[in-house]
Amino acid sequence: MIEVDHLHKVYGSTVALNDVSFAVEPGEILGFLGPNGAGKTTTMRILTGYLPATSGTAKVAEYDVHADSMAVRQRIGYLPERPPLYLDMTVEAFLHFVARIKGVSAGDRPAQVTYAIQRCGLEEKHAVIIRKLSKGFRQRVGIAQAIVHDPPVIVLDEPTSGLDPRQNNEVRQLIRSLAGDHTIILSTHILPEVNATCNRVAIINRGQLVAAGKLDTLMAQLTGAVSYDLEVRGGLEDIHHTLRAVPGVAAVESVGQLPDHESRYRFQLKAGDTDPGEAIAAAIVQAGFGLYELRRHQASLEDVFLNLTTEEPTEDMAKAAVTELANDADAASPAVMPEGASAADNTDDPVPPETDS
Amino acid sequence: MTALRTVLGNVLAIYRRELQSYLASPLAYVIAAIFWLLGGFFLVVILFSPEGLLAQVARRDQVLQMGMTLPPLDVAYEFLQGYFGVIGSLSMFVLPILSMGLYTEERKQGTLELLATSPVMNWVVALGKLLAVVTFYIGMVLPLMLCVAIALGTAEPAVSPNLLLVGNLGLILLAASVLSLGMFLSSLTSSTVVAAILTFALVIFLWIVDALARAVPGWLGDALNHLSMLQHFNGFTQGILDTSSVVLFVSYGLLGLFLTAQSIEALRFQRN
Repeated sequence: MIEVDHLHKVYGSTVALNDVSFAVEPGEILGFLGPNGAGKTTTMRILTGYLPATSGTAKVAEYDVHADSMAVRQRIGYLPERPPLYLDMTVEAFLHFVARIKGVSAGDRPAQVTYAIQRCGLEEKHAVIIRKLSKGFRQRVGIAQAIVHDPPVIVLDEPTSGLDPRQNNEVRQLIRSLAGDHTIILSTHILPEVNATCNRVAIINRGQLVAAGKLDTLMAQLTGAVSYDLEVRGGLEDIHHTLRAVPGVAAVESVGQLPDHESRYRFQLKAGDTDPGEAIAAAIVQAGFGLYELRRHQASLEDVFLNLTTEEPTEDMAKAAVTELANDADAASPAVMPEGASAADNTDDPVPPETDS
Repeated sequence: MTALRTVLGNVLAIYRRELQSYLASPLAYVIAAIFWLLGGFFLVVILFSPEGLLAQVARRDQVLQMGMTLPPLDVAYEFLQGYFGVIGSLSMFVLPILSMGLYTEERKQGTLELLATSPVMNWVVALGKLLAVVTFYIGMVLPLMLCVAIALGTAEPAVSPNLLLVGNLGLILLAASVLSLGMFLSSLTSSTVVAAILTFALVIFLWIVDALARAVPGWLGDALNHLSMLQHFNGFTQGILDTSSVVLFVSYGLLGLFLTAQSIEALRFQRN
């Protein structure tokens, strides 16, 4: 439904998009993930025909966004980062106006407007002036204006930014409910959002696609092996030895001794291909050590995201030549993890990102 | 055929929305109120002040009764000249305020992105907006026009209504031209104040051109004369319906539309 092929966008001397390619199948929700300034909005604006690409092509519903701009505009619903609302209109009048300029015929307009109002839960607010609506409702009106002409493709740029958690949840549910009938791209820099709403994800950083694919396969590929945190009482050398002998354990690292307890130590284990949790516990008990903690964790999407997007410490993403990134990672092709990303996991960072499991 | 209908439908949609936003704006009412107040005041001054037309006519009648001869005085003509002079000048201050928000508001509210990603041509949007603001201006002039019509109705000998119609046509054409160019200027910036200042500068420029056209002799003066909107407007106020003047105003209007469409198109190519 959406095909993006080798898209480049250059603003003056700044490369905003560098060879971005991906595709979205009908009925899917693609999460477009990346830090601020990564090129999400630029990509979306090219898709909606708001910006021309420097090179490369993008097709929406088989129409080229540049050559057949008018046809694409009719088939796409777009919610920019800031919902484009005429504050002095009522919700209903505004949606009628949008339906009109999106080319909905006069006969279908009332039904389409009612549909959008119902779908977005705006029944009680349909006669209210938009200026008087809360942020959450304005966001819904923004989504309603994107679906009022029943477009096959919906593009949502950070649809939940600035909403409180409850509104957030509602908007996500709404978006999920729209999939199937519509093909959706939504951009975000908030990870749980992707987890919560999307079937597929494309991660973009400094104008380059660093990973793309089904969420679970991507997770499996990118998160790498399982690791364990342990707290064990006994002799340091003995424990070390025992743990290393457990089948399926690839690496054992002693993290330190607990300050209050003479003989209690913390370890970090890296598992191989299999999950050795059971064996670790059994080995410790058999050897007569005291087991105080055994915590399993798998890198979360958040870890993956941070790994993929924070390779260089410089904040100035706009300036940095995106091509440099090519040295860090074979990032041009989708679903490839940068080399060394998994190695970075077990380096000297004792505080893992918060994972409550 | 369907394409034409779509275009007209879109113009109408934009027109309605824009006009509605004028009617919902307190500023528009304030502007209209001030315009009516000043316009009404000057109408009274022109007619009833000690130096006003009625006083002049009374003095003239006295002189004539004493048996002296005077050059004929066309009261209706003098009245219309005075009225259109005042309303024209007043409008020059009001028009920039009417046109300043046409695109700056769209840019501020982010709705320009909605328009630019809808299947609507830029010039269609511009035309709808221009028609809306011209309609609002006509709404402002209409009550004053009514007062003038009533005053002229008492004139003796009776005055042809064409005189008034042609004058008002000129006024509206002048306003449409200035609004169209003002709309272009408002599309250049996202600041309403800057848009208003730029349009005021344009109005002052028009006055300067007009003054030069009167002052400079020779071909340059002639050329300026042909280009000066105010000169052509003067023709209308004298009841002269000159095709070349209509063409000139329509050209200025189209120029404004064209430049607006181009400037909105160019926005896409700017770095954000």
